[in-house]
Amino acid sequence: MRPAELHGLTRTRVLMLDGGLGSVLIAAGLEAGRAPEWWNLEHPERIEEVHRAYLEAGSDVVHTNTFGGNPLRLAAAGLPGRCREINTAAVAIARKACGNEGLVAGDVGPTGHMLPPLGPATVDQLRRAFSEQVEVLADAGVDLISIETMSDRREALAAIEAARATGLAVHASMTFERRSRGVFTIMGDPLVPTLVALVEAGADAVGCNCSVTSSEMLPMIREAAPRVRAPLSAQPNAGQPRVTPAGVVYDASAGAFALDLVAIAEAGASLVGGCCGTTPEFIRLARAALKETVGR
Amino acid sequence: MTDRQVLFSALREAVLGGDDAAAGRLASQALEQGVPALEAIERGLVPGIREAGQRWEEGEYFLPELVTAAQAMKAAMGLLQPALDREGATSALGTVVIGTVEGDIHDIGKTLVGTMLSASGFEVSDEGASVPVERFVARARELDADLVCASALLTTTMPKQRELALALKGSGLRAKLMVGGAPVSRSWADAIGAQGYADNALAAVTVARDLVGHRATG
Repeated sequence: MRPAELHGLTRTRVLMLDGGLGSVLIAAGLEAGRAPEWWNLEHPERIEEVHRAYLEAGSDVVHTNTFGGNPLRLAAAGLPGRCREINTAAVAIARKACGNEGLVAGDVGPTGHMLPPLGPATVDQLRRAFSEQVEVLADAGVDLISIETMSDRREALAAIEAARATGLAVHASMTFERRSRGVFTIMGDPLVPTLVALVEAGADAVGCNCSVTSSEMLPMIREAAPRVRAPLSAQPNAGQPRVTPAGVVYDASAGAFALDLVAIAEAGASLVGGCCGTTPEFIRLARAALKETVGR
Repeated sequence: MTDRQVLFSALREAVLGGDDAAAGRLASQALEQGVPALEAIERGLVPGIREAGQRWEEGEYFLPELVTAAQAMKAAMGLLQPALDREGATSALGTVVIGTVEGDIHDIGKTLVGTMLSASGFEVSDEGASVPVERFVARARELDADLVCASALLTTTMPKQRELALALKGSGLRAKLMVGGAPVSRSWADAIGAQGYADNALAAVTVARDLVGHRATG
């Protein structure tokens, strides 16, 4: 999908993204501490099942199981040199689940390597890692690249630069929290100027994901919408995870989440979905609530 | 202000500003002037790192400022440590084994807690990231640790903290367990039987002192 097509899609409707993948895979038996990317090779059918559940719940877009699929992160997860194999497999799984219906977003997450002063990584190194991953994703046939959960603007920009070279539409999302002086990433990048910088770097849609709940993300979208001249995305978490004897549970109920997503869409977000802890049920209710109130 | 007070204040500022070169230079200067290392730490470095932690809490500092402050402190500590040992002043509050649980490569929060603990007088052995449960236990045994601190930044790796809690319990060691990390909560700590929980590096110091104190009195 070319950038213009993404713009066209978001002009006429709210695009429903999917919800959490990693957290759903844990519920499906992914061992603690194991990189979810392993399952693209070991249990493709379980990944496909999750994609299908999201599509049936009303997602227009599913993210490939490649959040940790850049070569730096794969190496740290015990999968060195397997970037092509894993990303190709992940795209095939998502494409199979989608058929002719949904869009496949090639998911790109942080490398885990820190730029100065936190670590010795260089922007060049990160860009090379992202290039390697997005080229595979593009070759394997994703519809767009979706960069998520970035907390360092420099790393996000490196990923955008790499992704733009594929010619595909690029969505870039960072993770923000409210601090006493405003909304920032943990690195100190402020919400609006950072999103504007991502757009200027060529991202076709930008937004916030992870770290906060839907009710906490709503004011962020309200703040950003009038100032960011690109389609805006919002993928909040389902509240803070709590671990019970039965497993990890998230506090936000799917119903409250759905109502927040409606408010977030009304505030100007045109791509909405969920992050950690959200499930197909969250998306199903959100889709229904959106149809009813926003009418699109 | 006396010369020493000026020096302590400069040390504090060097840490607060994350200037590791200045912190190192001032630490050497303190030693040349015959300032006891412990005093330089307690009146210069510790107030600096505490203030940095405070500013982080208040939202004024972000991760880069906080980490460079910790790095400046570390640079100065490296120079002061030999003198500290000679002074026989290492009446450590306790011995701590710290690390991020297996499968989790997040390093920052754990390093920060380790730095704050060591700045506050604990003997800290930082095992790094992705530390297997067995290694935590083996190191705790080797060092006769008072405390094991385990960080998990992912919901996928949190269960390793539970495994560690069980392993420590089964080991018969006296070490208590403190857990932390973004998705970790008080109730999770309680549920897995960890004795301590802290949601930031400053609080971790208070909790660690309490845990060690409890052991001494009870």
